[in-house]
Amino acid sequence: MRDPSPTTTEPEADFQWDAGEMGCGELLLDLRFRLREMRPGQTIKVTALDPGAPEDLPAWCRLTGHHLIWKLHPVYIIQRKEN
Amino acid sequence: MAGKFCVSLTHAKDNTDKATVAFVVANAAVGSDQETMVFLSTEGVRLSQKGYADDIHEEGFAPLRELMENFAKAGGKIFVCSPCFKKRGLNENKLVAGATIVGGAKLVEFLASGSPSVSY
Repeated sequence: MRDPSPTTTEPEADFQWDAGEMGCGELLLDLRFRLREMRPGQTIKVTALDPGAPEDLPAWCRLTGHHLIWKLHPVYIIQRKEN
Repeated sequence: MAGKFCVSLTHAKDNTDKATVAFVVANAAVGSDQETMVFLSTEGVRLSQKGYADDIHEEGFAPLRELMENFAKAGGKIFVCSPCFKKRGLNENKLVAGATIVGGAKLVEFLASGSPSVSY
């Protein structure tokens, strides 16, 4: 699966979260909790400054089935999966 | 590629023997047509910096810098643990060839697809 390239303008998101310098497992677990509180199809704009985020957040979406619909580090917009 | 293979390395100049052998094994894997990834964590992340390995040369082995360069030239990947990297204040602009800073999901994705792993 190809990661989305920022060929379009940044879409509006239902929620926003500034993760700051948070990274790796800490970032992913917090993100998991936030997605669980959202309804299927809703989106969250995550700002993650961690240098691992460009590789890690797309990988996390591939693993979990959530959709990475837009990214331009440090901004990532993720849509919650159906179930 | 026939399959995946992971070499996990947690040492640098604190154990140059292990650091060297890890890349020897990684080169054996990539040389055997395996999609090979070296995961550098804790002290091992220091090897991600250009120039760091230049003075590491274990008796009976090729210099570590040469082993790492050959690994990258053969298509080997080096995943560098992000929190370990940040903790040590290393430089993102001085990464060696083949190295990428990653978090846990990238490692999990590689291993969860059925990769064996050997640790040093």
